[in-house]
Amino acid sequence: MSQAIVSVNSALLLPVLAPAVGAAVVLVVDVAVQRLRRAHYLIALTSLVIGVLATFAGLGMGAGASRQTLCLPGGGQCLYAADSVTSTLQLAAMLAAIVTLLLSWPDDRKQSSGSTAVIVSLVLAATAGATAVAGARDLGSWLVALELATLPTVALVALRGARSAISGAVALLTTALVSFGLLALAAALWFTATGSGLLTPAAAQIVIEDPARRPILVLAVLLIVAGIGFKLSLVPFHAWTPEAYDGAPLPVAAFLAGVSKIAALAALLVVIRAIAPLGAPPLVAIAIVSAVSMTLGNIMALRQEGVVRLLAWSTVAQAGWVVLPLATVSSAAVLASGAYLLAYVVATLLAFSVVAALVQTRGAARARTLSEYRGLLGDHPVLASVLGLALLSLAGLPPGVLGLVAKVAALRPVVTSELWLLAVVAAVNAVLGVAVYLRWLFTVISSREDVEQAPGVVSGVAQGVRVHPATLVAVGFAAVALVVTSVSPELLVGLLGS
Amino acid sequence: MAVPAVAGAGLILSGRGSRPPTEGNANLFSLAASVLTAALVVGAVITRPEVDQPWLPSLGVRLQFAVDGISAPLLLLTAALGIAVVVHARSHPSHGGSPTTFYGCLQLVVLGALATFFARDAVIFYLAFEVVLVPMWVLISRYGDSKDLAARADASGRFVLYTVLGSTLMLIGILALVQASGTANLEALATARGAGLTRQAQIIIAALLLVGMGIKVPVWPLHTWLPPAHTIAPTAGSVMLAAVLLKMGTYGIVRLVVAPLPIGFGALAPAFAVLGVVGIIWGGLACLVENDLKRLIAYSSVAHMGFVVLGLASGTTVGLQAALFANIAHGVVSALLFFLVGGLKERWGSADLATARAALREVSPRLGIALVVGFAASLGLPGLVGFWGEFLAMYSAWSPAPDRPQGLMRVLVVVAVTGTAVAAGYSLRVLRLIWSGDRTTPAHQDARGGEWSVLAVLVTAVLVLGVAPGLVLNSTIKDVTAITAQVSR
Repeated sequence: MSQAIVSVNSALLLPVLAPAVGAAVVLVVDVAVQRLRRAHYLIALTSLVIGVLATFAGLGMGAGASRQTLCLPGGGQCLYAADSVTSTLQLAAMLAAIVTLLLSWPDDRKQSSGSTAVIVSLVLAATAGATAVAGARDLGSWLVALELATLPTVALVALRGARSAISGAVALLTTALVSFGLLALAAALWFTATGSGLLTPAAAQIVIEDPARRPILVLAVLLIVAGIGFKLSLVPFHAWTPEAYDGAPLPVAAFLAGVSKIAALAALLVVIRAIAPLGAPPLVAIAIVSAVSMTLGNIMALRQEGVVRLLAWSTVAQAGWVVLPLATVSSAAVLASGAYLLAYVVATLLAFSVVAALVQTRGAARARTLSEYRGLLGDHPVLASVLGLALLSLAGLPPGVLGLVAKVAALRPVVTSELWLLAVVAAVNAVLGVAVYLRWLFTVISSREDVEQAPGVVSGVAQGVRVHPATLVAVGFAAVALVVTSVSPELLVGLLGS
Repeated sequence: MAVPAVAGAGLILSGRGSRPPTEGNANLFSLAASVLTAALVVGAVITRPEVDQPWLPSLGVRLQFAVDGISAPLLLLTAALGIAVVVHARSHPSHGGSPTTFYGCLQLVVLGALATFFARDAVIFYLAFEVVLVPMWVLISRYGDSKDLAARADASGRFVLYTVLGSTLMLIGILALVQASGTANLEALATARGAGLTRQAQIIIAALLLVGMGIKVPVWPLHTWLPPAHTIAPTAGSVMLAAVLLKMGTYGIVRLVVAPLPIGFGALAPAFAVLGVVGIIWGGLACLVENDLKRLIAYSSVAHMGFVVLGLASGTTVGLQAALFANIAHGVVSALLFFLVGGLKERWGSADLATARAALREVSPRLGIALVVGFAASLGLPGLVGFWGEFLAMYSAWSPAPDRPQGLMRVLVVVAVTGTAVAAGYSLRVLRLIWSGDRTTPAHQDARGGEWSVLAVLVTAVLVLGVAPGLVLNSTIKDVTAITAQVSR
């Protein structure tokens, strides 16, 4: 029988293949023709756009509908499946990667650091990992894809070469290795419990028939939560976050806040959806981790003086919100969690883009210091308004309706399961979060006279330098996405399917 | 049908309007928008249109807007004050930032308040509730009249954080309520009467909602955000805050607690009433010693809202009517007083009562007469608007609904009566200090133009509603009876 062992539908795999092939092409081109810079970015953008287009087919499918490939002969067991949640997360990951690339677009006015091809191919490789993990349905590819999404980010952080970047990269690498160990152990336990290498409800089904296997499966899920908690920056695996964000170049920090988070949640959702039909009791572990992450993240964010560190700690807090609905294992919780993550990614990327634009006009030192944002509304009205919208969306206040809707969606499964204590903790954290973001916004809208009162303000440093067009495109792109989804949140929430 | 949508779009446009126009143009544009809004609101109140469109199908949220007897007076009040603050700001230019942002924020506050009163979907109600926060925060933090940046940051931050805590608790309550009854439509919720909810669940949800909206009302001891916010806010901000934003809390309690959760509210009503009466006494006593005039009026708001709470807690038709009437009455009176005090503070340079100044009776009779009417209404003089709400609230609490503890309620009424005596005390104290006397220096200008017309209209409203309370009571009676008829069943 000369039949293929696995059936391959490459159109379906395109969201994964496109960035992976793009990464390879960039490296090959770099070997063939030296000293190219812009060409690499164009190749990368093309591959990402192809991937984005390929996900459209999977959007908005009804519940239960999914397209599968890499199927083993006979049993109908497939190693890759894309339904609407998967496709939406893939789409988001690639759009976030596009924004990152735009932010790191080479500046003609500066000398080349010579590593353009490496940066671009690393970004593409990590993106391919993120899209692959969303579709992976077996332990092997799930683990490999997750690491593919993680390890390039270590290199991206370290490439800048500064001392702070190295220490950030080391923190990232150490935690990555620990989390990989946990995940490998979890995979082994999963295999022990279910006797199957697949991460599907069908595989988990066997546990219902044999209650003795249940404790092993629970342990496996706990280890998976712990392992992924690192990538989502959940307490107590958050310690790398401020170091890495602050040490890394700004676009890389945006990448960590966007694509990496999508990859991590996609990986977690694969597992949660496999065990959802078991009707598991609420996962107290996730509830506790979520509550602690929110609280610690918000409190630390309140104390930060640097905006990148503030965004890093706010990531910790927002990660708590992202997993909040997952404390109740249900399909509604999966949708809510996905919706919250998307809202967070859009708003955070917008905030990072604005900071990146300000780095170019006002210099890195000023753009990274919170107190230097005084009077921004007067200097850069458009950038300041856009930043304000992003911050309000993160805080969950109108006119950032998207953040508010996401908050409603995230709280709903919690309330449905009558986890009152968790709901009240979330309410208190909503307040803390508002305090965090309004503190920033308050400095942004403070007027000129207040600036004069403030001591030690250096004015006019690097004024008049124009923002790079690619950065402006990134700001505009993220801003339009946020405004459109704020007016009609259904566009974003509905993508995930119902 | 699309009246509120059109109004909302117009308002947002004005808020985001072009940058360079001068103060006068911004004012004119804003005025036109306000008048248009008011006309549309009057139209909506008369024709009673309904809007019902899907907005977020995945979450089951629908854009549902409608008007009924309970919301109609509040809508009219909001729209009228929307015009009033703009007219008033003509003669009192804003400072601290660009005029367009100032008027834009005012319009957004009005938009949020209108949307709150129009909303018929519980989740949309929550969204609209939140819309007012950021513009109000900007108004206080940027246009506040304290020169001190830290004081403004503190007052505005406190306002936002308190209310966000309240509204998030309210959101949890709303989600639980919607989940349990399977509908987010406020009317359907009111007719369902909490069917399918156990007594315990009703109490938990009612408690969440009461604490959440109690912060907004504000109910003692959750009122501490109010005095600083009022003191710092610009006149227009204080007026909107007292006359419109506080009403959203009581309105929400009627819509989301009293109507859909009769058992839960019944169980919590005594405690709620006690807090209300403590608020009456607390606010009154604070007013007796307070030397900052703006802060004094803020504390008197706490006392007045205590009567609203008492009326709500009685659980009778009369009590609910009283609460809604007192709501409107407080809106009119506090708007009048904040306009006055804002104007005085501008003339005097501060609002400190301890400084001797020219008596209003001598140098500015118009301001003087408006002040006398305002404080007389505030102390509940019969024939003025303040009387009916307080009198009916106490009357209803004296003979409350059968499931309320009668003895406790009667004790509370007695305490509340002493509260009115305290109110008389502080009102007369203020009048003695700034109205009577024969000091004529330093002289200041009397109210003229826009300021005087706004004051005159509000004084007229105080008198008219005081003589003919039926105007409001008849509007609300039908829907109120519908709520209480089922409560007492």
